[in-house]
Amino acid sequence: MKSLNEIAAKAQSLSQKVRIAVAMAEDANTIGAICRAASEGFVYPILIGSKARITELLNPFSIKADAYSIIDLPEMDLATREAVRMVKTGAADVLMKGLVGTDNFLREVLSKERGLLPPKAIMSYTCALELPKYHKLLLISDTAVLPCPDLDQKIAMVNYSVKMAHTLGIECPKVALITATEKVSASMPNTIDYALICKMAERGQIKGCVIDGPMDVFLACDPAAGEIKGVQSLVDGDADILIFPNLETANAFYKGLMLFAEGELAGLIQGTTKPVVVMSRSESENSKYYCIALSCLMAEER
Amino acid sequence: MEIRKLDQMFDILGTRTKQRLVAAWAIDTHTIMAVSEAVKMGIIEGTLVGDEAKIKAVCNEHGIDAGTIKIVHSDNDLAATALAVDLINKGEGDFLMKGLLSTDRYMRAILDKEKGLMDPGSILSHVTVAEPRNYHKLLIFGDVAIIPLPDLAQKVTITNYLIRTAHFLGIDNPKVGLLAASEQTLPKIPSCADAAIISKMAQRGQIKGATIEGPLGMDLIIDKESAQIKGMKSDVCGDADCILFPNIESGNAFYKTVVKLLKSELCAVVMGARVPCVLTSRGDSERSKLYSIALAAMLAYSS
Repeated sequence: MKSLNEIAAKAQSLSQKVRIAVAMAEDANTIGAICRAASEGFVYPILIGSKARITELLNPFSIKADAYSIIDLPEMDLATREAVRMVKTGAADVLMKGLVGTDNFLREVLSKERGLLPPKAIMSYTCALELPKYHKLLLISDTAVLPCPDLDQKIAMVNYSVKMAHTLGIECPKVALITATEKVSASMPNTIDYALICKMAERGQIKGCVIDGPMDVFLACDPAAGEIKGVQSLVDGDADILIFPNLETANAFYKGLMLFAEGELAGLIQGTTKPVVVMSRSESENSKYYCIALSCLMAEER
Repeated sequence: MEIRKLDQMFDILGTRTKQRLVAAWAIDTHTIMAVSEAVKMGIIEGTLVGDEAKIKAVCNEHGIDAGTIKIVHSDNDLAATALAVDLINKGEGDFLMKGLLSTDRYMRAILDKEKGLMDPGSILSHVTVAEPRNYHKLLIFGDVAIIPLPDLAQKVTITNYLIRTAHFLGIDNPKVGLLAASEQTLPKIPSCADAAIISKMAQRGQIKGATIEGPLGMDLIIDKESAQIKGMKSDVCGDADCILFPNIESGNAFYKTVVKLLKSELCAVVMGARVPCVLTSRGDSERSKLYSIALAAMLAYSS
């Protein structure tokens, strides 16, 4: 798949509706995006929160009464807990955050007893960007969850992103490990981690992709850069996945592209037993819809 | 010409301008015999710094023509070593050799900040060149004697010394194996992690003039069949010219295995000073001492 529309098209073609439990489905943005997916027939929303408020928000949408359900739990903590419980027990396939703080929401997802993260698993975030000036989807990590990933967390970010790429039909994604330079130096600890990750991939300890780094975004995404810099790389300016050294860099990168380069995205929490959709309110309606479509593909994958 | 046997160093040195050896406190039979033999073979010029009477007595005793060697008088080991280093710094010698003084005092003279042989920031390290039986070429490795537990930067320096040594032995693009506990990249094992990092630095052109691969186990470095069995495709495997050891214990054990178990010849030199420094021990064979002098002379052409 080379565009977010292809992700949506694939989601539309799924044989079974994906059941999405929305915690505190009480904001118009969330309702709007999920109603679009529901009306296209690939999602069955389970809207949890104040029934009165949800019903009111549903009014503008012509969604059939049997195409969704509402669970009346106006209390935020209870609504969130119920949404997570449904996904954990298999009553729903995907978890989605509504009008609840990300902190509170993730605390429930991370709960040892009630949550969706297997013991010792690393939670991270990968999103797929569609950029008018790039010839295919660009997956990036971590824009939202891990502030300052250590080596193990970086490896997890690679593995999660590679898995997402596979789901999107990218058989052997090219992974670029991003920093400011292609040189390895102890004074830039991320370059050391990257050197280790490359060698792990060479030794077959990370599979299903080709990896190179450290490198800058030019070397990763511009075929001319390698020639100019004299760097030979398996990625060769044709990256499918960019792994960033920290959240600040990844977050600024994607937001810059959203703002200045007309990018759209679809992102998902990684590491949980079932897909978890967390969107920021500032994201476009389209991006939200694409997040839902992507979560459906990832749900199907499991 | 690529040197594949230690003897070939003698042939090459015989055709070149002779490098000038300066031996510090060279009053013992071992040192004097080795230097005079090298001079007689026509591979170097020699200066012995030490007690002139004692040197001449040794020469007489062993029928050495003292006229072939320059003698510079000095009363004691410290003064003689300082004088020898001074001769090098004045350009009157091309490489240094240790005589009958302790390694400790010898190294201190080399490392002396004002009068020694070090440039600021340089690192001393010990490089061995061995001719192991059953191996199809020379093996250049380090550090088996000076740096106990090299950090990443020191490992890079040692790797560069190994590569430079290979180049001076006519091996244009040496294959360097980075020894580690496993060929897997195990981040918690420093030998594996550092090897992975150095290997990537080489890919990025930060270490030049060689093909570098690691982490690798010893079997993969020196035995092609093991590499084939493990599916390791690197050119280095089974055909290494150089081995970087992760610590002094592993390097030293290998060195001594080559000498004692394989009964093979080797020689060594200290690199990192302005000139190569010969550091033989009394346990070394006569042949090995000659090889060490020849190796330092080969490397002296660079400095």
